[in-house]
Amino acid sequence: MHLAYPAVLAVLLFCVGLYGVLARRNAILVLMSVELMLNAVNLNLVAFDVWLRDTLHAGQALTLFTITVAAAEIGIGLAIVLLVYRNRGTSDVDKLTDLADTGTLPDSGSASIAPATDNPADTAAEQALRAREQTA
Amino acid sequence: MTLAAGHPGFMSPTGVEIAFVLVGIATLGAALVTVTTKQLVHAALWLVVALGGFAVEYLLLTAEFIAWVQVLIYVGSVVVLLLFGLMLTKAPIGRSPDADSGNGWVALVVAVAAAATLVWVVVDAFRSTWVDLGGAAQGSAKVTGAILFRHWVLPFEALSVLLLAALVGAIVLSKRGAPARRSLLSKSEALPMRGVPSERKARES
Amino acid sequence: MTGTIHSLWTTAADSATPLDKIPTPKIEYAQLSPVLIVFGAAVLGILVEALLPRRSRYIAQLGVSVTGLAAAFAAIVALAADGYASAKSHIAAMGAVAVDGPALFLQGTIVLVALVAAFTFAERRLDPLAHGRRVDSFAAQGSTVPGSEQEKRAVRAGFTTTEVFPLLLFAVGGMMIFPAANDLLTLFVSLEVFSLPLYLLCALARRHRLLSQEAAVKYFLLGAFSSAILLFGVALLYGYAGTISYGGIADVISGTAKMTPALANTTANDSLLLIGGAMVVVGLLFKVAAVPFHMWTPDVYQGAPTPVTGFMAAATKVAAFGALLRLLYVVLPGIRWDWRPVMWGVAIATMVIGAIIAVTQTDVKRLLAYSSIAHAGFILAGVIALSPDGVSSVLFYLAAYSFVTLGAFAVVTLVRDAGGEATHLSRWAGLGRRSPLVAAVFAVFLLAFAGIPLTSGFAGKFAVFKAAAQGGAVPLVIIGVISSAIAAFFYIRVIVLMFFSEPQPGGPSVAVPSALTSTAIAAGVAVTLALGVAPQYFLDLAGKASVFVR
Repeated sequence: MHLAYPAVLAVLLFCVGLYGVLARRNAILVLMSVELMLNAVNLNLVAFDVWLRDTLHAGQALTLFTITVAAAEIGIGLAIVLLVYRNRGTSDVDKLTDLADTGTLPDSGSASIAPATDNPADTAAEQALRAREQTA
Repeated sequence: MTLAAGHPGFMSPTGVEIAFVLVGIATLGAALVTVTTKQLVHAALWLVVALGGFAVEYLLLTAEFIAWVQVLIYVGSVVVLLLFGLMLTKAPIGRSPDADSGNGWVALVVAVAAAATLVWVVVDAFRSTWVDLGGAAQGSAKVTGAILFRHWVLPFEALSVLLLAALVGAIVLSKRGAPARRSLLSKSEALPMRGVPSERKARES
Repeated sequence: MTGTIHSLWTTAADSATPLDKIPTPKIEYAQLSPVLIVFGAAVLGILVEALLPRRSRYIAQLGVSVTGLAAAFAAIVALAADGYASAKSHIAAMGAVAVDGPALFLQGTIVLVALVAAFTFAERRLDPLAHGRRVDSFAAQGSTVPGSEQEKRAVRAGFTTTEVFPLLLFAVGGMMIFPAANDLLTLFVSLEVFSLPLYLLCALARRHRLLSQEAAVKYFLLGAFSSAILLFGVALLYGYAGTISYGGIADVISGTAKMTPALANTTANDSLLLIGGAMVVVGLLFKVAAVPFHMWTPDVYQGAPTPVTGFMAAATKVAAFGALLRLLYVVLPGIRWDWRPVMWGVAIATMVIGAIIAVTQTDVKRLLAYSSIAHAGFILAGVIALSPDGVSSVLFYLAAYSFVTLGAFAVVTLVRDAGGEATHLSRWAGLGRRSPLVAAVFAVFLLAFAGIPLTSGFAGKFAVFKAAAQGGAVPLVIIGVISSAIAAFFYIRVIVLMFFSEPQPGGPSVAVPSALTSTAIAAGVAVTLALGVAPQYFLDLAGKASVFVR
């Protein structure tokens, strides 16, 4: 087989994933696009490995490692995304704008003199939420 | 292994090549739908098609162990996890207006430019390279296992540590507390997933 | 072609070399002991989490972490004393890691940084008592919704996330392998080993949880994206050189490798090498937060729990610069005429943009984040020098910078009001009048960031710029000095704000820390002054450790 076929296919799939990462807003869709990119790399690695008849099988070893890492990454990623969804009711990356250079931060200036409550952590979180809802 | 001269040209493809290209087109198509569809669940299902296509390509490249790992881990667990994620974030079944952000055109330009550059690079490098698929399969479980546990043993162990860390981390992030069981509960607290929106609503009002 | 298809299913019979037994790999356990000790301590930490009752976990975790890190540091010193940093340096564990001067120096730095960071992780006196219990900077339970009844219950029950200590140790272990990795596979795996625990740690702040989780999402998505790019670069380099070991790729680049027929027509192809190398370097530049790959830095530094930010800012930078150094000095010196101009541009952009944007910041943590970007630029100037002096100056700078950063973030945890840490700069006005000691300590760190003589920052900057100038990068040095001056402006501005403006009514108070944070800050001040007043000993040490093994 011509090596050009798998190599070009891998590049095209990588760029499809790249488009997805940049264009998607839903965090889970972004994760899917990252998976596509990683898979494209794997195809490349396997094709090179078979072509080279590498005695160390570096390409296939790296492919197995990538698959495992991707699975772990998906687990962690989903845990984080679900956490955010639970607290904010959205998994939209574009709506995560509390941390940014412009605009007033929820904990800035006068807003930070908060009434003391049972657990101060609540106030901070609530302030952040309120600030976000005001801007929305 | 063979040098440029000793193999068929692009105009007279072999059977494996035809199969590879056809599966490749299907995979690429499924990937394109995955990143463009507005229906979130469809995206996950098309991802299954794309990942399955990868597995077939690995088989055609004689990397059988990797093909089965791909099927088991990606199609079997990663996509299922992603579907769980979509369900738990209450992804709508129909078209979802907020699937894409406003910078789709920028993304398209970047992706096309990257594709053009990289395709040029690999075509330029591998124009006349021939992969010899004959002989012993390059990726049988036996070969892969032997090399993994001999040469790549340190990264392999590091990877096991990574999995342990990911396991612990996922538990830390999603474990729900024991004191809920000990104290008397109201109904909404006993069912965390149902309890959350009500808490949220209470805060919003 | 039928034969090809057929062979898919009949491999066992005609396998050329029967592989009945896998030969035992050769692993130099003694030389890997620092990493093994850290991972062992992490696993022990998980056992503590599983077996000990909740009350005794905190003490046990702290004990395990501190003992493990101290033992790892002792092992590193023993290895260095045994000559593994110079004469005996070699490649260990079937080619996976290098045991040499830079690796041991950076591992030592990372372990010490982690040791100090573990103290700040364990600090429990800054927050007011919650239900009669002392609480640390981490959420009582990560999964609870902030402010919910459930979280209150968790706090009342005395839950704490003591899992942060094993996670810290996992990250440290990955960071120790990262600068020592001697093939691209180990590089990728160790990158993930330290990144995943950091994503998690970012999401666990007790106060400002929503910001903390937002930081984790951003860090995670950009981190996963950057590692995909790095991986594609790895694949291209593999296709170019036919191997992923550092030495092997370097041989192919320099043309001394044994040429196989399969490679003959691609190794002449430089674009494959250049694009592949560039993508790997981009993946690393993401981690060191160099412009234009810095966008995640301020958000993540601001949102993460401050002890985590301090650890991340210090140790990630050390590990990632170590890996970058090894990549550029061992793998890619053969194409230095191609990457040096690009890295010049990156270094200049990083220094200038980091310094200029920092001037406009109003939040202490964001300010320190942009300052860390500017510092990445200064360090890059030393990396580009491509000489032993360049290596030793970068090693010295990393050691100096990491302790200043840790100390500065530890001070940030002390200045608090009812909402937690008061990070807005206006709240810091007049701090010097109310708590002169804390303000003075913070001023020392700021002066070190600015590179004022008699602090470690000056010695570091001087060494880096000297190496860069000797490497022929005089314009780079001039721009570096100018952006240092810009950077000095905003550091001095903060000092002026602290000492010469009126305190706000109802401004933040300074919490009195326990011995833990006090030790961390004292260590930061001590290292800053020691490296500033008598840098020569440490420069010599870094100089002795500046030779990479191949």
